[in-house]
Amino acid sequence: MAEVLARPVVGSLRGLGRAATLVAEHAGAIGQLSWSIIVTLVRGRVAWRDIVQQMYVIGFQSLPIALVTASLAGIVTSQQGGYQFTGSVPLYVLGSVVVESMILEMGPVLTAIVLVGRVGARITAELGTMVVTEQIDAYQSLGRDSIAILVAPRVVAGIIVMPLLVGLADADGILVGMFAAKLTTGLGYESFLYGARLFWHSWDLVYSLTKALAFGLAIPLISCHMGLRTGGGAAGVGRQTTASVMFMTLTVLILDALFPPLMLQ
Amino acid sequence: MSDQGGSEPIIQYCGIHKAFDVPVLRGVDLSVGEGEMFALFGPSGTGKSVLLKTTMGLIQPDQGDVRVAGESVFYGGPKALSAIRKLAGYVFQNAALFDSLNVLDNVLMGLPEDELYALSRSEAARKAWNALELVNLDPELVFAKLPAELSGGMKKRVGIARAIVGRPRILLWDEPTTGLDPVNTAAVERLIMRLSRELETTSLIVTHDIEGGLAMCDRVAMLEGGRIRFSGSPSQFRASPDPVVQAFVDRAAAEAQLDLAGEPSGVS
Repeated sequence: MAEVLARPVVGSLRGLGRAATLVAEHAGAIGQLSWSIIVTLVRGRVAWRDIVQQMYVIGFQSLPIALVTASLAGIVTSQQGGYQFTGSVPLYVLGSVVVESMILEMGPVLTAIVLVGRVGARITAELGTMVVTEQIDAYQSLGRDSIAILVAPRVVAGIIVMPLLVGLADADGILVGMFAAKLTTGLGYESFLYGARLFWHSWDLVYSLTKALAFGLAIPLISCHMGLRTGGGAAGVGRQTTASVMFMTLTVLILDALFPPLMLQ
Repeated sequence: MSDQGGSEPIIQYCGIHKAFDVPVLRGVDLSVGEGEMFALFGPSGTGKSVLLKTTMGLIQPDQGDVRVAGESVFYGGPKALSAIRKLAGYVFQNAALFDSLNVLDNVLMGLPEDELYALSRSEAARKAWNALELVNLDPELVFAKLPAELSGGMKKRVGIARAIVGRPRILLWDEPTTGLDPVNTAAVERLIMRLSRELETTSLIVTHDIEGGLAMCDRVAMLEGGRIRFSGSPSQFRASPDPVVQAFVDRAAAEAQLDLAGEPSGVS
Protein backbone atom coordinates (compact mmCIF):
# COMPACT_ATOMS: atom_id res chain seq x y z
CA MET A 1 0.00 0.00 0.00
CA ALA A 2 2.79 2.39 1.03
CA GLU A 3 4.64 1.45 -2.13
CA VAL A 4 1.63 2.38 -4.27
CA LEU A 5 1.35 5.74 -2.51
CA ALA A 6 5.08 6.42 -2.81
CA ARG A 7 5.18 5.69 -6.55
CA PRO A 8 3.90 9.09 -7.76
CA VAL A 9 6.20 10.90 -5.32
CA VAL A 10 9.22 8.93 -6.55
CA GLY A 11 8.12 9.53 -10.14
CA SER A 12 7.82 13.28 -9.54
CA LEU A 13 11.21 13.40 -7.85
CA ARG A 14 12.77 11.53 -10.77
CA GLY A 15 11.14 13.96 -13.17
CA LEU A 16 12.51 16.89 -11.17
CA GLY A 17 15.95 15.29 -11.16
CA ARG A 18 15.86 14.84 -14.93
CA ALA A 19 14.73 18.44 -15.42
CA ALA A 20 17.48 19.72 -13.11
CA THR A 21 20.10 17.66 -14.99
CA LEU A 22 18.84 19.01 -18.30
CA VAL A 23 18.92 22.62 -17.07
CA ALA A 24 22.45 22.15 -15.69
CA GLU A 25 23.57 20.54 -18.94
CA HIS A 26 22.19 23.39 -21.05
CA ALA A 27 23.58 26.02 -18.69
CA GLY A 28 27.04 24.44 -18.90
CA ALA A 29 26.91 24.22 -22.70
CA ILE A 30 25.69 27.83 -23.00
CA GLY A 31 28.52 28.89 -20.67
CA GLN A 32 31.05 27.12 -22.90
CA LEU A 33 29.53 28.67 -26.02
CA SER A 34 29.67 32.14 -24.41
CA TRP A 35 33.34 31.62 -23.56
CA SER A 36 34.10 30.55 -27.15
CA ILE A 37 32.35 33.70 -28.42
CA ILE A 38 34.40 35.92 -26.08
CA VAL A 39 37.62 34.21 -27.22
CA THR A 40 36.82 34.71 -30.92
CA LEU A 41 35.91 38.35 -30.28
CA VAL A 42 39.05 39.05 -28.28
CA ARG A 43 41.18 37.42 -30.98
CA GLY A 44 39.50 39.64 -33.59
CA ARG A 45 38.29 36.67 -35.64
CA VAL A 46 34.77 38.02 -36.19
CA ALA A 47 34.22 39.97 -39.41
CA TRP A 48 32.36 43.30 -39.11
CA ARG A 49 30.73 42.53 -42.46
CA ASP A 50 29.05 39.46 -40.88
CA ILE A 51 27.91 41.47 -37.85
CA VAL A 52 26.41 44.22 -40.05
CA GLN A 53 24.63 41.60 -42.17
CA GLN A 54 23.12 40.04 -39.03
CA MET A 55 22.16 43.48 -37.70
CA TYR A 56 20.19 43.99 -40.90
CA VAL A 57 18.47 40.58 -40.58
CA ILE A 58 17.81 40.72 -36.83
CA GLY A 59 17.18 44.46 -36.48
CA PHE A 60 16.06 46.17 -39.65
CA GLN A 61 13.94 43.29 -40.95
CA SER A 62 12.25 42.91 -37.55
CA LEU A 63 11.42 46.60 -37.30
CA PRO A 64 7.98 46.53 -39.01
CA ILE A 65 6.57 43.69 -36.89
CA ALA A 66 8.12 45.13 -33.70
CA LEU A 67 6.51 48.53 -34.41
CA VAL A 68 3.11 47.01 -35.24
CA THR A 69 3.21 45.01 -31.98
CA ALA A 70 4.21 48.09 -29.97
CA SER A 71 1.46 50.17 -31.62
CA LEU A 72 -1.18 47.59 -30.71
CA ALA A 73 0.16 47.41 -27.15
CA GLY A 74 -0.07 51.23 -26.90
CA ILE A 75 -3.65 51.21 -28.21
CA VAL A 76 -4.80 48.45 -25.85
CA THR A 77 -3.16 50.02 -22.78
CA SER A 78 -4.65 53.37 -23.60
CA GLN A 79 -8.15 51.97 -24.15
CA GLN A 80 -8.16 49.78 -21.04
CA GLY A 81 -6.68 52.58 -18.90
CA GLY A 82 -9.30 54.97 -20.23
CA TYR A 83 -12.06 52.48 -19.41
CA GLN A 84 -10.81 52.01 -15.83
CA PHE A 85 -9.96 55.63 -15.03
CA THR A 86 -12.93 57.46 -16.54
CA GLY A 87 -14.99 58.82 -13.67
CA SER A 88 -12.67 57.61 -10.89
CA VAL A 89 -9.09 58.88 -11.46
CA PRO A 90 -7.91 62.07 -13.23
CA LEU A 91 -7.52 61.06 -16.86
CA TYR A 92 -4.06 62.64 -17.23
CA VAL A 93 -2.78 59.68 -15.15
CA LEU A 94 -3.35 57.68 -18.32
CA GLY A 95 -0.26 59.36 -19.78
CA SER A 96 1.85 57.93 -17.00
CA VAL A 97 0.26 54.48 -17.25
CA VAL A 98 0.88 54.22 -21.00
CA VAL A 99 4.46 55.54 -20.80
CA GLU A 100 5.48 53.45 -17.81
CA SER A 101 3.86 50.23 -19.00
CA MET A 102 5.42 50.61 -22.46
CA ILE A 103 8.88 51.43 -21.14
CA LEU A 104 9.02 49.12 -18.16
CA GLU A 105 7.27 46.08 -19.54
CA MET A 106 5.57 45.97 -22.90
CA GLY A 107 8.23 47.53 -25.09
CA PRO A 108 11.06 45.17 -24.07
CA VAL A 109 9.01 42.00 -23.48
CA LEU A 110 6.77 42.15 -26.55
CA THR A 111 9.71 43.02 -28.80
CA ALA A 112 11.62 40.09 -27.30
CA ILE A 113 8.72 37.71 -27.92
CA VAL A 114 8.51 38.96 -31.52
CA LEU A 115 12.23 38.32 -31.93
CA VAL A 116 11.94 34.82 -30.44
CA GLY A 117 9.50 33.88 -33.19
CA ARG A 118 11.01 35.83 -36.06
CA VAL A 119 14.73 35.58 -35.39
CA GLY A 120 15.35 32.91 -32.75
CA ALA A 121 13.37 30.18 -34.52
CA ARG A 122 15.06 31.05 -37.80
CA ILE A 123 18.56 30.87 -36.31
CA THR A 124 17.89 27.49 -34.67
CA ALA A 125 16.41 26.04 -37.86
CA GLU A 126 19.23 27.46 -39.99
CA LEU A 127 22.06 26.18 -37.79
CA GLY A 128 20.22 22.91 -37.16
CA THR A 129 19.95 22.30 -40.89
CA MET A 130 23.65 23.08 -41.26
CA VAL A 131 24.44 20.51 -38.56
CA VAL A 132 22.36 17.70 -40.08
CA THR A 133 23.72 18.40 -43.57
CA GLU A 134 27.30 18.36 -42.19
CA GLN A 135 27.95 22.00 -43.16
CA ILE A 136 29.23 22.75 -39.65
CA ASP A 137 31.61 19.78 -39.92
CA ALA A 138 32.66 21.12 -43.32
CA TYR A 139 33.53 24.52 -41.82
CA GLN A 140 35.68 22.82 -39.19
CA SER A 141 37.35 20.42 -41.60
CA LEU A 142 38.31 23.43 -43.75
CA GLY A 143 39.96 25.03 -40.73
CA ARG A 144 37.27 27.69 -40.35
CA ASP A 145 35.94 28.70 -36.95
CA SER A 146 32.19 28.11 -37.07
CA ILE A 147 31.72 30.11 -33.86
CA ALA A 148 33.41 33.16 -35.42
CA ILE A 149 31.48 32.84 -38.67
CA LEU A 150 28.04 31.71 -37.55
CA VAL A 151 27.50 32.33 -33.83
CA ALA A 152 29.44 35.40 -32.69
CA PRO A 153 28.07 37.76 -35.40
CA ARG A 154 24.49 36.81 -34.50
CA VAL A 155 25.03 37.31 -30.76
CA VAL A 156 26.88 40.62 -31.19
CA ALA A 157 24.23 41.86 -33.64
CA GLY A 158 21.47 40.87 -31.17
CA ILE A 159 23.15 42.83 -28.36
CA ILE A 160 23.53 45.91 -30.56
CA VAL A 161 20.13 46.00 -32.27
CA MET A 162 17.83 44.90 -29.45
CA PRO A 163 18.16 48.13 -27.38
CA LEU A 164 17.62 50.14 -30.59
CA LEU A 165 14.54 48.10 -31.47
CA VAL A 166 13.15 48.40 -27.95
CA GLY A 167 13.85 52.16 -27.86
CA LEU A 168 11.89 52.60 -31.09
CA ALA A 169 9.13 50.25 -29.91
CA ASP A 170 8.83 52.20 -26.63
CA ALA A 171 8.53 55.52 -28.47
CA ASP A 172 6.11 54.11 -31.03
CA GLY A 173 3.86 52.51 -28.38
CA ILE A 174 3.76 55.75 -26.38
CA LEU A 175 2.93 57.91 -29.42
CA VAL A 176 0.23 55.57 -30.68
CA GLY A 177 -1.10 55.24 -27.11
CA MET A 178 -1.32 59.04 -26.91
CA PHE A 179 -3.28 59.24 -30.18
CA ALA A 180 -5.55 56.39 -29.04
CA ALA A 181 -6.19 58.18 -25.72
CA LYS A 182 -7.23 61.28 -27.62
CA LEU A 183 -9.53 59.29 -29.89
CA THR A 184 -11.15 57.07 -27.24
CA THR A 185 -11.25 59.25 -24.11
CA GLY A 186 -10.76 62.74 -25.51
CA LEU A 187 -7.62 63.24 -23.37
CA GLY A 188 -5.60 66.10 -24.90
CA TYR A 189 -1.95 65.64 -25.83
CA GLU A 190 -0.81 68.22 -23.29
CA SER A 191 -2.70 66.49 -20.47
CA PHE A 192 -1.30 63.13 -21.58
CA LEU A 193 2.26 64.52 -21.53
CA TYR A 194 1.63 66.25 -18.19
CA GLY A 195 0.61 62.90 -16.68
CA ALA A 196 3.59 61.20 -18.28
CA ARG A 197 6.04 63.78 -16.82
CA LEU A 198 4.41 63.66 -13.39
CA PHE A 199 5.53 60.08 -12.67
CA TRP A 200 8.57 59.95 -14.98
CA HIS A 201 11.91 58.53 -13.74
CA SER A 202 14.86 58.63 -16.14
CA TRP A 203 16.04 55.39 -14.54
CA ASP A 204 13.05 53.65 -16.15
CA LEU A 205 14.57 54.15 -19.58
CA VAL A 206 17.87 52.67 -18.38
CA TYR A 207 15.86 49.75 -16.98
CA SER A 208 14.07 49.25 -20.31
CA LEU A 209 17.24 49.31 -22.39
CA THR A 210 19.14 47.08 -19.94
CA LYS A 211 16.35 44.53 -20.22
CA ALA A 212 16.57 44.85 -23.99
CA LEU A 213 20.31 44.19 -23.81
CA ALA A 214 19.74 41.03 -21.74
CA PHE A 215 17.07 39.78 -24.16
CA GLY A 216 19.28 40.70 -27.11
CA LEU A 217 22.00 38.50 -25.66
CA ALA A 218 19.76 35.62 -24.55
CA ILE A 219 17.74 35.11 -27.76
CA PRO A 220 20.58 34.64 -30.28
CA LEU A 221 22.73 32.81 -27.73
CA ILE A 222 20.04 30.24 -26.92
CA SER A 223 18.93 29.88 -30.53
CA CYS A 224 22.52 29.24 -31.67
CA HIS A 225 23.12 26.81 -28.79
CA MET A 226 19.98 24.86 -29.64
CA GLY A 227 20.73 24.90 -33.37
CA LEU A 228 24.22 23.51 -32.87
CA ARG A 229 22.84 20.65 -30.74
CA THR A 230 20.46 19.47 -33.45
CA GLY A 231 20.49 15.87 -34.61
CA GLY A 232 18.19 13.46 -36.35
CA GLY A 233 17.55 14.93 -39.80
CA ALA A 234 14.62 17.12 -40.82
CA ALA A 235 12.42 15.86 -37.97
CA GLY A 236 15.22 16.71 -35.55
CA VAL A 237 15.40 20.26 -36.90
CA GLY A 238 11.64 20.64 -36.36
CA ARG A 239 11.78 19.26 -32.82
CA GLN A 240 14.79 21.38 -31.90
CA THR A 241 13.23 24.57 -33.29
CA THR A 242 10.07 24.02 -31.23
CA ALA A 243 12.14 23.31 -28.11
CA SER A 244 14.25 26.38 -28.80
CA VAL A 245 11.21 28.67 -29.05
CA MET A 246 9.91 27.32 -25.73
CA PHE A 247 13.33 27.70 -24.11
CA MET A 248 13.76 31.29 -25.36
CA THR A 249 10.21 32.35 -24.37
CA LEU A 250 10.65 30.95 -20.87
CA THR A 251 14.06 32.59 -20.52
CA VAL A 252 12.65 35.98 -21.58
CA LEU A 253 9.84 35.69 -19.04
CA ILE A 254 12.16 34.49 -16.24
CA LEU A 255 14.62 37.32 -16.94
CA ASP A 256 11.67 39.71 -16.96
CA ALA A 257 10.67 38.49 -13.52
CA LEU A 258 14.23 38.83 -12.21
CA PHE A 259 14.71 42.43 -13.32
CA PRO A 260 12.39 44.31 -10.89
CA PRO A 261 14.11 43.08 -7.70
CA LEU A 262 17.49 43.78 -9.30
CA MET A 263 16.86 47.25 -10.72
CA LEU A 264 13.61 48.71 -9.38
CA GLN A 265 14.27 48.63 -5.64
CA MET B 1 48.75 -2.29 -36.11
CA SER B 2 51.56 -1.19 -38.35
CA ASP B 3 50.91 -3.09 -41.56
CA GLN B 4 50.74 -0.02 -43.76
CA GLY B 5 52.02 -1.83 -46.82
CA GLY B 6 55.67 -0.86 -46.57
CA SER B 7 55.34 2.94 -46.85
CA GLU B 8 55.62 5.31 -43.88
CA PRO B 9 52.31 5.65 -42.01
CA ILE B 10 50.66 9.01 -42.55
CA ILE B 11 47.44 8.23 -40.65
CA GLN B 12 47.45 6.12 -37.50
CA TYR B 13 44.39 5.26 -35.44
CA CYS B 14 45.51 4.16 -31.98
CA GLY B 15 42.97 2.36 -29.78
CA ILE B 16 39.96 4.45 -30.79
CA HIS B 17 36.89 3.94 -28.60
CA LYS B 18 33.66 5.84 -29.17
CA ALA B 19 30.13 5.32 -27.86
CA PHE B 20 26.88 7.10 -28.70
CA ASP B 21 24.62 5.60 -26.01
CA VAL B 22 25.91 2.21 -27.25
CA PRO B 23 29.57 1.48 -28.08
CA VAL B 24 30.36 2.04 -31.78
CA LEU B 25 34.14 1.81 -31.91
CA ARG B 26 35.79 -0.54 -29.40
CA GLY B 27 39.52 -0.09 -29.86
CA VAL B 28 40.33 0.54 -33.50
CA ASP B 29 44.01 0.28 -34.48
CA LEU B 30 44.82 0.99 -38.10
CA SER B 31 47.58 2.59 -40.17
CA VAL B 32 47.41 4.09 -43.63
CA GLY B 33 50.70 4.49 -45.48
CA GLU B 34 51.79 7.63 -47.35
CA GLY B 35 50.62 7.54 -50.97
CA GLU B 36 48.31 4.60 -50.42
CA MET B 37 44.76 4.22 -51.63
CA PHE B 38 43.01 2.59 -48.72
CA ALA B 39 39.38 1.45 -48.54
CA LEU B 40 37.54 0.91 -45.28
CA PHE B 41 34.55 -1.42 -45.58
CA GLY B 42 31.94 -2.42 -43.09
CA PRO B 43 28.22 -2.94 -42.62
CA SER B 44 26.06 0.16 -42.08
CA GLY B 45 26.24 1.64 -38.60
CA THR B 46 29.61 0.15 -37.69
CA GLY B 47 31.23 3.55 -37.26
CA LYS B 48 33.21 3.92 -40.51
CA SER B 49 32.24 7.57 -40.93
CA VAL B 50 32.75 8.19 -37.21
CA LEU B 51 36.31 6.86 -37.53
CA LEU B 52 36.90 9.04 -40.61
CA LYS B 53 35.65 12.13 -38.77
CA THR B 54 38.08 11.53 -35.90
CA THR B 55 40.89 12.01 -38.45
CA MET B 56 39.96 15.70 -38.76
CA GLY B 57 39.03 16.13 -35.09
CA LEU B 58 35.36 16.47 -35.99
CA ILE B 59 34.41 13.77 -33.48
CA GLN B 60 36.32 13.33 -30.25
CA PRO B 61 36.90 9.69 -29.31
CA ASP B 62 36.20 8.59 -25.74
CA GLN B 63 39.61 6.94 -25.68
CA GLY B 64 42.58 6.71 -28.03
CA ASP B 65 44.19 9.12 -30.48
CA VAL B 66 44.71 9.68 -34.18
CA ARG B 67 48.08 10.74 -35.54
CA VAL B 68 48.30 12.41 -38.92
CA ALA B 69 51.76 12.99 -40.39
CA GLY B 70 53.18 12.47 -36.92
CA GLU B 71 50.94 15.08 -35.24
CA SER B 72 48.38 14.12 -32.63
CA VAL B 73 44.85 15.20 -33.59
CA PHE B 74 43.52 15.29 -30.04
CA TYR B 75 46.56 15.99 -27.87
CA GLY B 76 48.63 18.20 -30.18
CA GLY B 77 46.76 21.44 -29.44
CA PRO B 78 45.00 23.87 -31.80
CA LYS B 79 48.09 24.56 -33.95
CA ALA B 80 48.64 20.88 -34.69
CA LEU B 81 44.95 20.40 -35.48
CA SER B 82 45.01 23.41 -37.78
CA ALA B 83 48.09 22.01 -39.57
CA ILE B 84 46.37 18.62 -39.96
CA ARG B 85 43.27 20.26 -41.42
CA LYS B 86 45.45 22.08 -43.98
CA LEU B 87 47.07 18.77 -44.87
CA ALA B 88 43.86 16.87 -45.53
CA GLY B 89 40.78 17.38 -47.69
CA TYR B 90 37.48 15.83 -46.63
CA VAL B 91 34.83 14.83 -49.15
CA PHE B 92 31.49 14.59 -47.36
CA GLN B 93 28.88 11.97 -48.17
CA ASN B 94 26.31 14.55 -49.34
CA ALA B 95 28.87 17.15 -50.40
CA ALA B 96 27.97 19.47 -47.45
CA LEU B 97 28.15 22.57 -49.64
CA PHE B 98 27.36 25.89 -47.97
CA ASP B 99 23.82 26.80 -49.05
CA SER B 100 24.33 30.55 -48.96
CA LEU B 101 27.52 30.58 -51.06
CA ASN B 102 27.79 30.11 -54.81
CA VAL B 103 30.01 27.43 -56.33
CA LEU B 104 33.02 29.74 -56.65
CA ASP B 105 32.90 30.77 -52.99
CA ASN B 106 32.21 27.19 -51.90
CA VAL B 107 35.33 25.98 -53.68
CA LEU B 108 37.41 28.90 -52.37
CA MET B 109 36.50 27.87 -48.81
CA GLY B 110 38.77 24.90 -49.48
CA LEU B 111 41.82 27.18 -49.54
CA PRO B 112 43.50 27.77 -46.17
CA GLU B 113 42.47 31.19 -44.78
CA ASP B 114 46.00 32.67 -44.88
CA GLU B 115 46.47 31.58 -48.50
CA LEU B 116 43.05 32.89 -49.51
CA TYR B 117 43.75 36.35 -48.04
CA ALA B 118 47.18 36.48 -49.69
CA LEU B 119 45.71 35.92 -53.15
CA SER B 120 43.94 38.43 -55.36
CA ARG B 121 40.34 37.61 -56.25
CA SER B 122 41.34 36.66 -59.80
CA GLU B 123 44.22 34.45 -58.60
CA ALA B 124 41.87 32.69 -56.18
CA ALA B 125 39.24 32.28 -58.90
CA ARG B 126 41.91 30.74 -61.17
CA LYS B 127 42.61 28.10 -58.49
CA ALA B 128 38.90 27.35 -58.14
CA TRP B 129 38.62 27.18 -61.95
CA ASN B 130 41.44 24.59 -62.09
CA ALA B 131 39.90 22.51 -59.30
CA LEU B 132 36.53 22.46 -61.06
CA GLU B 133 38.17 21.43 -64.32
CA LEU B 134 39.93 18.59 -62.50
CA VAL B 135 36.54 17.20 -61.47
CA ASN B 136 35.19 17.55 -65.01
CA LEU B 137 32.87 20.48 -64.37
CA ASP B 138 32.63 23.50 -66.66
CA PRO B 139 33.63 26.38 -64.34
CA GLU B 140 31.98 28.99 -66.54
CA LEU B 141 28.70 27.14 -66.28
CA VAL B 142 28.68 26.54 -62.53
CA PHE B 143 30.73 29.36 -60.94
CA ALA B 144 27.77 31.59 -60.11
CA LYS B 145 25.27 28.85 -59.28
CA LEU B 146 24.03 28.18 -55.76
CA PRO B 147 24.16 24.56 -54.49
CA ALA B 148 20.35 24.36 -54.70
CA GLU B 149 20.62 24.83 -58.48
CA LEU B 150 22.96 21.84 -58.94
CA SER B 151 22.15 18.16 -59.47
CA GLY B 152 23.33 15.60 -56.88
CA GLY B 153 26.24 14.48 -59.04
CA MET B 154 27.37 18.08 -59.66
CA LYS B 155 27.17 18.84 -55.94
CA LYS B 156 29.38 15.85 -55.26
CA ARG B 157 31.94 17.10 -57.80
CA VAL B 158 31.90 20.61 -56.33
CA GLY B 159 32.45 19.02 -52.91
CA ILE B 160 35.46 17.18 -54.34
CA ALA B 161 36.76 20.39 -55.98
CA ARG B 162 36.52 22.14 -52.59
CA ALA B 163 38.49 19.32 -50.97
CA ILE B 164 41.28 19.37 -53.57
CA VAL B 165 41.65 23.10 -54.28
CA GLY B 166 44.21 23.47 -51.48
CA ARG B 167 46.25 20.55 -52.93
CA PRO B 168 46.07 18.38 -49.78
CA ARG B 169 48.45 15.49 -49.12
CA ILE B 170 45.57 13.37 -47.84
CA LEU B 171 42.04 12.93 -49.17
CA LEU B 172 39.37 11.47 -46.93
CA TRP B 173 36.32 10.21 -48.81
CA ASP B 174 33.10 9.49 -46.93
CA GLU B 175 30.92 7.18 -49.04
CA PRO B 176 31.80 8.94 -52.31
CA THR B 177 29.49 6.83 -54.47
CA THR B 178 26.46 6.56 -52.19
CA GLY B 179 23.24 7.61 -53.93
CA LEU B 180 24.74 7.45 -57.40
CA ASP B 181 23.59 5.22 -60.26
CA PRO B 182 26.09 2.68 -61.69
CA VAL B 183 27.22 5.03 -64.48
CA ASN B 184 27.96 7.89 -62.09
CA THR B 185 29.48 5.49 -59.56
CA ALA B 186 31.99 4.33 -62.15
CA ALA B 187 32.69 7.95 -63.17
CA VAL B 188 33.34 9.02 -59.57
CA GLU B 189 35.58 5.98 -58.99
CA ARG B 190 37.63 6.87 -62.07
CA LEU B 191 37.82 10.43 -60.78
CA ILE B 192 39.07 9.29 -57.36
CA MET B 193 41.81 7.18 -58.97
CA ARG B 194 42.83 9.95 -61.36
CA LEU B 195 42.93 12.62 -58.64
CA SER B 196 44.91 10.41 -56.27
CA ARG B 197 47.41 9.75 -59.05
CA GLU B 198 47.65 13.32 -60.40
CA LEU B 199 47.72 15.04 -57.02
CA GLU B 200 49.89 12.29 -55.47
CA THR B 201 47.68 12.10 -52.41
CA THR B 202 46.99 9.44 -49.84
CA SER B 203 43.34 8.43 -50.10
CA LEU B 204 41.29 6.87 -47.33
CA ILE B 205 37.90 5.86 -48.69
CA VAL B 206 35.03 4.82 -46.47
CA THR B 207 32.61 2.87 -48.62
CA HIS B 208 30.16 0.05 -48.72
CA ASP B 209 30.84 -0.42 -52.44
CA ILE B 210 33.12 -3.42 -52.08
CA GLU B 211 33.77 -4.04 -55.76
CA GLY B 212 34.69 -0.40 -56.35
CA GLY B 213 36.91 -0.30 -53.28
CA LEU B 214 38.71 -3.53 -54.20
CA ALA B 215 39.27 -2.30 -57.75
CA MET B 216 40.61 1.13 -56.72
CA CYS B 217 42.66 0.51 -53.62
CA ASP B 218 46.08 -0.86 -52.71
CA ARG B 219 44.88 -2.03 -49.32
CA VAL B 220 41.52 -2.55 -47.65
CA ALA B 221 40.23 -3.07 -44.13
CA MET B 222 36.93 -4.21 -42.72
CA LEU B 223 35.37 -2.73 -39.60
CA GLU B 224 33.03 -5.05 -37.75
CA GLY B 225 31.74 -5.04 -34.20
CA GLY B 226 33.67 -1.84 -33.48
CA ARG B 227 37.06 -3.34 -34.34
CA ILE B 228 39.17 -3.95 -37.43
CA ARG B 229 38.22 -7.45 -38.51
CA PHE B 230 40.47 -7.59 -41.56
CA SER B 231 43.32 -5.54 -43.00
CA GLY B 232 45.29 -6.49 -46.09
CA SER B 233 45.44 -6.41 -49.86
CA PRO B 234 42.32 -6.71 -52.06
CA SER B 235 43.35 -10.22 -53.15
CA GLN B 236 43.80 -11.28 -49.51
CA PHE B 237 40.37 -9.84 -48.74
CA ARG B 238 38.71 -11.82 -51.52
CA ALA B 239 40.45 -15.01 -50.41
CA SER B 240 39.92 -14.46 -46.69
CA PRO B 241 38.80 -17.64 -44.92
CA ASP B 242 37.14 -15.52 -42.20
CA PRO B 243 33.42 -16.43 -42.35
CA VAL B 244 32.40 -12.90 -41.26
CA VAL B 245 34.38 -11.35 -44.12
CA GLN B 246 32.99 -13.90 -46.55
CA ALA B 247 29.41 -13.31 -45.38
CA PHE B 248 29.91 -9.56 -45.81
CA VAL B 249 31.33 -10.01 -49.33
CA ASP B 250 28.43 -12.30 -50.30
CA ARG B 251 25.82 -9.95 -48.87
CA ALA B 252 27.37 -6.95 -50.61
CA ALA B 253 27.47 -8.85 -53.91
CA ALA B 254 23.80 -9.74 -53.54
CA GLU B 255 22.92 -6.10 -52.78
CA ALA B 256 24.90 -4.98 -55.85
CA GLN B 257 22.90 -7.41 -57.97
CA LEU B 258 19.66 -6.01 -56.56
CA ASP B 259 20.83 -2.45 -57.28
CA LEU B 260 21.62 -3.36 -60.88
CA ALA B 261 18.25 -5.06 -61.32
CA GLY B 262 16.32 -2.13 -59.89
CA GLU B 263 15.81 1.42 -61.13
CA PRO B 264 18.89 3.59 -61.02
CA SER B 265 18.77 5.82 -57.98
CA GLY B 266 21.10 8.16 -59.67
CA VAL B 267 21.79 11.72 -60.29
CA SER B 268 23.15 13.30 -63.37
